[in-house]
Amino acid sequence: MIELNSVSGAFTLLSSDINAWLYLLPGLAIGLVFGAMPGISITMAMAFALPATLYMEFLPAIVFLTAIYTGAGFGGSVPAVLMGIPGTSSAVATTFDGYPMARKGQHSEALGIALASSVIGCLASYVMLFVLIVPISGVVLKLGPLEMFAVAVWGMLLLGSLAGTQMSRGLLAGTFGVLLGTVGMNTAGFVRGTIGIPWLLDGVPQIPAMMGLLAASQLIGLINTTYLIEDEGSRNISFAKILGGVRQAFRYPTIIFRGSLIGVIIGAIPGVGSSISNLLSYSETKRNAADGDTFGQGNPKGVIAAEAANSSSEGGAMATMLALGIPGGGATAILLAAFAMHNIVGGPSFIAHNKDIVYAVIFSNFAQAVLLFFVGLGFVYVAGYVVRVPLRFLIPSVLVVSTFGAYAIEGSSAGPITLWVFSVLGWAMVRYGYPVAAAVVGLLLGSLLEGNLLRTNQISGGDFIGYGLERPWALVIFALMLGSILLQVISKRRRVKQAALAAAQTG
Amino acid sequence: MSTKSGRKVIWGHLILLTVITGVVVAYLLDARGVSLRTNNLLLVQPAAILAFVLAAFVLPGIFPRADAAEEAETEGETRGDLVRVFILIAALAGLAFSLEVVGFDIATFAFMVIGLAVCGERRWWANLLFSAVFTVVLIYGYGTITPFPFPLTIL
Repeated sequence: MIELNSVSGAFTLLSSDINAWLYLLPGLAIGLVFGAMPGISITMAMAFALPATLYMEFLPAIVFLTAIYTGAGFGGSVPAVLMGIPGTSSAVATTFDGYPMARKGQHSEALGIALASSVIGCLASYVMLFVLIVPISGVVLKLGPLEMFAVAVWGMLLLGSLAGTQMSRGLLAGTFGVLLGTVGMNTAGFVRGTIGIPWLLDGVPQIPAMMGLLAASQLIGLINTTYLIEDEGSRNISFAKILGGVRQAFRYPTIIFRGSLIGVIIGAIPGVGSSISNLLSYSETKRNAADGDTFGQGNPKGVIAAEAANSSSEGGAMATMLALGIPGGGATAILLAAFAMHNIVGGPSFIAHNKDIVYAVIFSNFAQAVLLFFVGLGFVYVAGYVVRVPLRFLIPSVLVVSTFGAYAIEGSSAGPITLWVFSVLGWAMVRYGYPVAAAVVGLLLGSLLEGNLLRTNQISGGDFIGYGLERPWALVIFALMLGSILLQVISKRRRVKQAALAAAQTG
Repeated sequence: MSTKSGRKVIWGHLILLTVITGVVVAYLLDARGVSLRTNNLLLVQPAAILAFVLAAFVLPGIFPRADAAEEAETEGETRGDLVRVFILIAALAGLAFSLEVVGFDIATFAFMVIGLAVCGERRWWANLLFSAVFTVVLIYGYGTITPFPFPLTIL
């Protein structure tokens, strides 16, 4: 699995080129700052830096861009924790427990937990990539629409765990989200629900809609509050508490390992990536946790699960990009563009002839993850001061920044208008007990579900079961899904029995 | 708001559910109007029917008994609080729809002034100063890192 000659070649490459190391720190800093801005995606941060890599050597250029990738991956989690705004779509699940923790005055701990989980998740993913890059690339080639559909269905199962106390409202929110996610032209060429608006042909703009549902709606609801954290004493930013959060993350190695594994596997599937892996990891952790009922109310395990998965997706996406030359998302597409700028074609022939460069990129990512810990510590300390800003200044300011971000993504008023529509919808949903997170998940997965269901229908000629039996990987995914549900039912029964026993003993 | 049978109506929730089901009905009719082929309706039609079934389950919650403790989340909220929320929502609509018409600078400054006032900033000089500085910093700061130019009128 590991070629020692190439590993030694990678060390030689890295030790002979000081430039490869010089660009690590600026790359991480750019990524952190851009990722923390609502509306500035990882892709946008990398696209912004891409022209600067034209005059660099190949290895420093790739190291610089992957450093931005790593930095922006964690940067998106900072506003997710502090304001409930997922800076990127991969930080959606971080808001579920990170933001409630911040509202309870545990913002320092939540940021520490997020940072440590991200760093460990990123490291773990590159260790897996180092060992498994060759087998992973073999598996990815065998994944078809049915397997992708299975993954999306697995993501949809999250709706059940997000539904909260009012199951019917949660499921309605999720189903409504799925329907909105299918607006526009589907993969078979049918145009629905655009009400004559040209920009809806591509579907509802997801990031502005997500920002509106999750963030702007919360901000509107906070208009009668003075500070994000009501208790004045809890507003302090504490370095000790951030480090306490870091230590807390280390207490849950299983959650981190599970999150990293889900992140690598889902991240490696083109078109799925980190926006689903964080949700899946969150839902699996919630299912397995003894205190699953407290998820969504500020349970640190939720933050660990989400962050470990979204940061480790980077390793999975890199595996597909390096081994097959297939970009799993925008960020890896930009990396491929950087390859092209240096007259290098990614894919099987690249990995076959340049294993030393591949391993050098992997090793530099180890260094990035370690460096992210120290740079991130300083960054979250400074960013944490946002909780001390009075809400009368914060609410209009963040709404304007979100509006600018929505415009920057779409390049027209489509973004801000979508943001506004979904802000109002989100505010009303929160007010009447509908979990907006379920609508967000539905919206993210709607087109993916429909596209892969259609392709499966076309390939199978309508015989889903017969076709499914010929697809071992789809069966594996469905089996894993069923297994996780069964385990949840068993552990729930066990918990109920234990609680009944405890009640009988005390009674 | 109580009916004769001792039940009350949560009007806001009723409006929300009407909007959700209305959108689903309109979407389903539009999709069926485009084509009745499987490749068009494979996911949309079952999902829409599921949404109607779920909406039927939600409906009783909109008409709770007058003595029920449900929907307590709006308790303690005055009419004034709600008016402020609606002003902020209207101002955000104004910002979203006028950015390209009046320019990002004017639209942003106007929204900031209204937003700060609605959110509770009583010092007019602090409001105007913060709004002006924030607008300038944001337009020049964000403008340099975004790929699309912001239409401006004054700056």
